[in-house]
Order: sequence, then C-alpha cells, then structure tokens
Amino acid sequence: MKVITFVLSLVVSFNAFANDTNPAKDLLLKMANAVHTRNFDASFVVVKGKTMEPYRWVHALQGDTELEHLSLLNGAGLEMVRIDNQVTYFEPQSEPYSLKTDSIAGPIPEVLFKDIDRLSAHYDFVLGGKGRIAGRAAQLVRIESKDEYKYNYWIWLDMESSLLLKAAYVNHEGEALEQLQLTHISVTEQPAGMLVEVLNRNFPTPLPNNALINEDSTATNWKISWLPDGFELLKSDRHKLDLNNELTDYYLFSDGFVEVSVFIQRPLPGKRLSGALTSGATTVYVHNGGNFDVSVVGNVPSMTAKAIAESVTRAL
Amino acid sequence: MTKAHLNKLDNEALSALLDGEQHLTDAKIAEQDVTTFGRYALIGDAMRAQKNNNDIHIDISDRVALALESEPVYADFSQSKTQPQAMTETVQDNKVVAFNWRKPVAQLAIAASVAMFAIVGVNTLPQSNNEQQSEIPLLQTTPLAGMASPVSYSSEPALENAEQGLRELQQQRIGALVLEHQRQARVANSLETAQTNTKASEEKN
Repeated sequence: MKVITFVLSLVVSFNAFANDTNPAKDLLLKMANAVHTRNFDASFVVVKGKTMEPYRWVHALQGDTELEHLSLLNGAGLEMVRIDNQVTYFEPQSEPYSLKTDSIAGPIPEVLFKDIDRLSAHYDFVLGGKGRIAGRAAQLVRIESKDEYKYNYWIWLDMESSLLLKAAYVNHEGEALEQLQLTHISVTEQPAGMLVEVLNRNFPTPLPNNALINEDSTATNWKISWLPDGFELLKSDRHKLDLNNELTDYYLFSDGFVEVSVFIQRPLPGKRLSGALTSGATTVYVHNGGNFDVSVVGNVPSMTAKAIAESVTRAL
Repeated sequence: MTKAHLNKLDNEALSALLDGEQHLTDAKIAEQDVTTFGRYALIGDAMRAQKNNNDIHIDISDRVALALESEPVYADFSQSKTQPQAMTETVQDNKVVAFNWRKPVAQLAIAASVAMFAIVGVNTLPQSNNEQQSEIPLLQTTPLAGMASPVSYSSEPALENAEQGLRELQQQRIGALVLEHQRQARVANSLETAQTNTKASEEKN
C-alpha cells in the first residue's frame, strides 16, 4: 500500500511539474545550460543609440573547470576573466581585482546564465516568432515585465545549440533601446588554447564575501519611499567615488534582473537642473532635492528613475 | 632661390589642391608632408564649417593609440608567458581591494563608457508623443565621436564661462556615477546569492 501511495504521489507531482512548464522558460534554462557547457568563441556588438561597442566572448569547459573571457575591443578596453567561481576585472586606470561570483557582469544580464525561475514573480516568459539571426535559425523568447516600471528583454536563441544570438532591451512601445547582436560564433569540441593558458596564470585573490558588505550602514540616513515591486536593498554605505573623489551615500537595489543605484550627495554649486540622461537602456536621473542631490542610475525607464529619485527624503 | 621659399611654393600647391582648385593625383599627395596635409585639411574644415555651420572633425585616434601603448599590460593572452612579471606583481601586491576608493584626484581621466554621457545642453522639449515622457527634461548627450557644438545657457560671455565650469563639474559627477554603478552591479549577484541563502537558512530554523 505504501509503495502505491509513493508511486501515486510521484505521478501526481510529475503531472504538476509538467503543467507548470512553460516552453519559453525551458528554452532559457536550456540556454543557461549551453552557455556553461559548450566550448565557443563568439563576437558580438552592443548598439546603444548611435554608439556601438564590440566584444569578444570565449568560453571553455576544461575538465570540470569553466573558463570564460569577455573583452571590450574598442577604446581603452575592459577585460573580464572567469575561472569557475572567480571573476577578475581588468580595467584601465585601476588595479585588477577579483570577486567570488559565478558569472561575469557584462552586457548580458547575469540572471540569464542561471535559474531564471526566480524572476517569475515580476516577469512573464513568452515565446515569440522564429527568424534568422547571425545566419542561424533563431527562436525569440520575450521576458516581459509585469508592470510598466521596467523594460522588457527579448532574446533570440539558436534553435540548434540553444546559445544566445541576439538580445535587446525593449520599452513598452516596442522600441529596441539597446541591442546586442552576435556577428560570429563557432562552437568547438576542444576548448580554445588561449583560454586553457589562463589556468597557468595568477590572479588577485578575491575578497571574502562578507567583506563586501560594509559595516558602516547608512540605511537609516535616508528614506527611499518608492521602488518598483520586487526591488530589494542589496547594500548601503558611504564612500568616495573613484573618479572625482566625491563623498556619496550609496544604495544598491536589484529585482534579480536589473540593478539600480541611488546616490545622495552634497549639492553642486549654481543652478542645478533635474533631468534624465540616457544611453541605450541605461538611465541617469539627476534630481535636485534642495539641500542634497539625488542621482539614480540603472537600466530602467526614465520615469521610474525619476520616481525613485523624487521619493528620497531625509529620515527623521 | 632659398629653401624656405621653395616650401612656401609647395604649400601653395597643397592649399589649392585641398580647396579643389587643382586636380587630385596620388603623386601630388605623396609629395606632401603628412602633418602639413592634415593641418591644411583641418583649416579647410574649419573655414567650411563656419560657412555651412558644419561640424569639425578632429582625429585624436593616433594620440589615444599613443596613450594606450604606454598603458600597462595586465593579461595579454596572445603572448604566452612572455610577460609573466605583470601577473606576479599583482599577486605580490596583497593590497588589491575589491574597490579602490582612495584614489588621488589626479586620475580624472574619464573612461570610455563615461565619455558617452558628456552633456551638451538641456532639452526641455517633449521628446515623444507620450504624455508621461514629455514631463521629463532630457539632458542632451553626445557620443565622443560626433562632436556637436556645446549649447550655452546664456549669451553673457562671463556667465558662459562659469556655466562651462559647472557643466564640467556635473559631467564629471555623472561620469563617476555611471562608472560606480557599473562596478557596484558586479557585486550585486554575489550579494543576492548570499541574501537568498541566509533567507533560506532562516526559514529552515
């Protein structure tokens, strides 16, 4: 009798699972898997309005070790190297440093390389049409925000390898704001020699995770009374900005898909104008709060950034 | 005939060539000193720009390339083991911190991503038919490549200078904010994982 109940419960739970599956979500999970297991060498460009950034993206699985290298090819450049759970960033003008994390924070939202299931509360996954991208048959999957405070994200996947071919931040009028397009991809049996070489190199030791969370919490200094649903505070502190040495109270929020930074600083002299700046999907909203300046940066519509900035008040 | 006089005559020919008063032949260009050629082309551009209200194109790519050459190389994978010093140095330097905030102000050079946000003016005109959108004044931006002439807020020259300074301050700040956001977003993922883990363990208890 017990065995029958067990088998029955298995069948029931399997059915429940089967009913829950969504082809769009399945495809995204397949892509996440492919990105972690395939050896590939790809080139892509990110188009933001009138500007364009070319990248090279190489990934390899050497034994049980995952190797990944992403580099920005124009301008001063930016190099990111991942060996399993350690990512090292090489930037112009600053020392290289490593972080303990299992994905590179590049132009592709990191959550796409993982379990996108955690986005289900605030985003819908919809299957779109088929097309030809980068010379390959592609299937469109749309990640649609359930409210108008965030952008939608469209992804075109290779129907054969499940790898990403194209992606775009799309606003609610259906206009693509920032597009990422692969221009070339080669999937190989053997890992690229250039990447295997990385294993022989030394990289800076990553900081332990708890060192990233600053003890000096400024969470009580300011009240941010409005954020879109799903955004949670990840960290808050007071620090100096790298480029201009200005002091700022800093808050980092995320809904699992996009990050939003809130900066509260002493006011700049003179006539300060409130307004939005955009580049691709990135919005910078500068708000004159009277005795302080609030700036909101993130891949959200300018209306959202404005609403967040204007909701900041001094905590009593 | 002195040598100086000869040069002057050469340049007259070049000037005529650039102004379209003389036909272009490969041999003619080859004769000319490259820097002189570039300078004359720029002068021509400037004069035509005044006439037609066009943009001037100043090519700084060679200077950028020069600056890049003097940049330290951190991880050059194309040359296997030929530059191991750079890598070992970073290991020995155990002061490598996740965020290097204590930087001298001297390093005000602006990163490529930051330059995209250079402000040239403030546009308060509605940017689209969408009513909600039109409420937001849009600060105009320009990519580094296509230089648009800066729009001044006032006609007073003295005020203009002060405003130029202010605009630079604001530009610097916005550049710093964008860079900082990019860097902070890198830790977001590990913080989030840590947060969900603590939540999960709390639920267990």
